[in-house]
Amino acid sequence: MADGQSLEEPPKVKKAKGKTPTGPLFTLKKWNAVAMWSWDVECDTCAICRVQVMDACLRCQSDKKQEECIVVWGECNHSFHNCCMQLWIKQNNRCPLCQQEWTVQRFGS
Amino acid sequence: MASVGTSSALLRGNGSSNFTDQWPKMQPIVVKLLKQQEITRQEWQDLFWDVHTVCSWDEKAPAKIQKALEEVILEFTREIQTSVSQHKEESALLKAYIKEWTKFFTQCQYLPLPFQSIEVENSANKANKKRQEGNKVQVLMLQTWNRSIFADVRSQLLSAAMSFLYKERSGEAYDAQLVIGVRESFVNLCTDTSNKLQIYLEYFEKSYLEATKEFYTSSSSQYLSENGVQNYMRYASDKISEEQRRATRYLETSKDSQSVKLVMTELDRILIKTHSDVILEECPKLISANEVEKLMVMYRLMDRIANGVDPMLKCLESHIVNTGLSDMKAHAEVITTDSEKYIEELLKLFKLFSELVKDAFGDDSRFLTSRDIAYKKVVNDVSVFKLELGTKGKVSGASKTHPESKCPELLANYCDLLLRKTPLSKKLTSEEIDEKLRSVLLVLKYVQNKDVFMRYHKTHLTRRLILETSADSEKEENMVEWLRDVGMPAEYVNKLARMFQDIKVSDDLNTEFKDKNKGSDTADLVNIKVLNAGAWSRSSERVPVSLPTELEDFIPEVEEFYRKKHNGRKLTWHHIMSNGSITFQNQVGKYELEVTTFQMAVLFAWNQRPEDKISFESLRLATELPDPELRRTLWSLVAFPKMKRQVLLAEPEVASFKEFCDLTMFYVNQEFGLVKQGKLQKRGKINLIGRLQLTTEKTKEEDNEGIVQLRILRTQEAIVKIMKMRKRLTNAALQTELVEILKNMFIPPKKMIKEQIEWLIENKYMKRDEDNLSTFIYLA
Ligand SMILES: [Zn+2]
Ligand SMILES: [Zn+2]
Ligand SMILES: [Zn+2]
Repeated sequence: MADGQSLEEPPKVKKAKGKTPTGPLFTLKKWNAVAMWSWDVECDTCAICRVQVMDACLRCQSDKKQEECIVVWGECNHSFHNCCMQLWIKQNNRCPLCQQEWTVQRFGS
Repeated sequence: MASVGTSSALLRGNGSSNFTDQWPKMQPIVVKLLKQQEITRQEWQDLFWDVHTVCSWDEKAPAKIQKALEEVILEFTREIQTSVSQHKEESALLKAYIKEWTKFFTQCQYLPLPFQSIEVENSANKANKKRQEGNKVQVLMLQTWNRSIFADVRSQLLSAAMSFLYKERSGEAYDAQLVIGVRESFVNLCTDTSNKLQIYLEYFEKSYLEATKEFYTSSSSQYLSENGVQNYMRYASDKISEEQRRATRYLETSKDSQSVKLVMTELDRILIKTHSDVILEECPKLISANEVEKLMVMYRLMDRIANGVDPMLKCLESHIVNTGLSDMKAHAEVITTDSEKYIEELLKLFKLFSELVKDAFGDDSRFLTSRDIAYKKVVNDVSVFKLELGTKGKVSGASKTHPESKCPELLANYCDLLLRKTPLSKKLTSEEIDEKLRSVLLVLKYVQNKDVFMRYHKTHLTRRLILETSADSEKEENMVEWLRDVGMPAEYVNKLARMFQDIKVSDDLNTEFKDKNKGSDTADLVNIKVLNAGAWSRSSERVPVSLPTELEDFIPEVEEFYRKKHNGRKLTWHHIMSNGSITFQNQVGKYELEVTTFQMAVLFAWNQRPEDKISFESLRLATELPDPELRRTLWSLVAFPKMKRQVLLAEPEVASFKEFCDLTMFYVNQEFGLVKQGKLQKRGKINLIGRLQLTTEKTKEEDNEGIVQLRILRTQEAIVKIMKMRKRLTNAALQTELVEILKNMFIPPKKMIKEQIEWLIENKYMKRDEDNLSTFIYLA
């Protein structure tokens, strides 16, 4: 194919034509980037309700408040559904996993 | 009689009121009444008065009057008997009898009226005797008639009536009123009020039944042998309606009488039951030939006898299964690859079978059930093609699964064709698409493994939402609700609904991101979708890829933006899903290519060295794509379906991506161009993403495995749930309840149930009863 072409047109013309216009062969026009977010946690499952922390706790699932169900981290770095932890500390102010006194380090948002 | 003169007679002192004096005056009036001769008003009133006075004078008078009446009536009926029995010919005899009887029966209503005093007397005397025979005179009249005429001519009457019946059945016209008259005389003659139909039953009904039996036993067999079974069905059906009308006309239909039912049951036995084998033998032939009218006749006949249609149901079932499967086999080549053809074929069959049930069996629910049973077999058949769901035995107690129907997968593919922007969805109107989606749901009802459908449906939906290729977002969401309506398990449907919610959240985020970067390159070039991993991704797998610097530079910007917005979240890039468009400029023209990020990564390798041939190995090093993904990506660029000029060229040319080796060389096709209707275009847009999967082969395997593992888990959960509730249950009962719980997702194979029970026993969730090994006991 390349040979047939070069018989009709001198190769240098072709090269000149290919290089002179506007630089790269391919230029970016649009990029649709896809990412997944997840809670930055050590353990995927909430130890209180046994549901994955990426899924809302059972109560929020049935109340259709999935988007509002956030995660809470303690100073011990353990994490739970915030809803679950709020109920838990009414009974026992210790982390269910390590038994340290529960202090909130941060909330997910 | 005169000697019985009593004190009351003396009281009156007038001899004119005693019976002996008065009767000669009364008697002629009675005779006139019997003969239906005219009497004057005076005579009529005198009769009342005389009866009354005689009875008040003489307490024995009622008995005397009765005796005298009896004599008169007897004499009268004897005369009639003589005149009636003069007729030797049946029809003349019948006519004469009916005529006299009708007159007499009318008088039975009148003559008793003047003799009310006898009645009163009677009932006063026998106060505690039942008053059923309310009308002494009428009873007297009927009994006399019965004795002196009826007993004599009864058998002649019956045989005359029956011979008329025979003539009528043989097609001769005659006066139906005669038979009716005979029946009425049988019914009305009876004076036993506790069993008013006694004479009728004993003689008339019995003869009618006998005559019917005799007639049809011989004529049905004769008709069948002379005219064949198909004509016979029509004959039997006609005869049944004819006899129904006849029986209602000639037999007693008052509510105490079962005559019509009795005769019809006997007729069903003779016309249908004795010939049912011959009739049913026609069923398969008629079904195959779609002879709906004849089938309808057969159905109506067979439905008259107990369990009559059962063999027809079996016939229909095997017809549907055989036709369905042979149709599928005949079109195997097309339908195994083309979901649209497959589903249309299935729907065509369903329509065909439904029409048959409607036209031939009037949508009888038993036939509809048979259709469903059989259609389910066709839909879930694995002989034409099957889906293999493999496991690697990681899961507790799992062994190799059995093959499953590919139907759910193809249904999901078809759905995708309708919901995505495709030539098909563009061609159809909105209503047509809705109708087709509904028909998908209809077939889905018959699919046993709905979890497989949901898995594929979700994969397609993911793709449509990410690539923004939905034809109509309202339809997408409607479909989710329809799936809920047809009973898809909430846990699956909710996941889908969550994806729609999530994509909206992500759209808002993208708008905000672009606002923040207004005026910069980023805002123009980049769109972001940041999705909730819980709602979307099942697979942990990420495919590594070295992005072209043009793209790599955006990543920190996006991450920075996201970190400021949210707390405690981490982002994972899924470049296998991301995509974009690039401009491709060569000597022929300038084109816009829609590509996956992987395609982009491969193509951008030529930006530094546009004229070079680059080896497979070098491309792998440059892009860092795993071998299988690189092969698939390159193949899509050198052999994109239906494209005359490809973007890349390979050296040597190969027939399949499997033939690429490390030394295969690739170079940019400088003569690439779009060809439309044979003309080369200098500008244009082309989508190279096509049907490229947004998932890897490995993810697909994981998905299949995921289905199997999820099934095992669901089965275990369900067994524990049932046992916890029942405490103690037989194996059979457990299996039944289990299928009931799981059937909306999948039908657990017996083997799998057995394995899971064993596993649960081993792990002390339950145990076998020591006395009865097929009974299980729950262990808390
Ligand atoms: Zn929780
Ligand atoms: Zn919650
Ligand atoms: Zn802790």
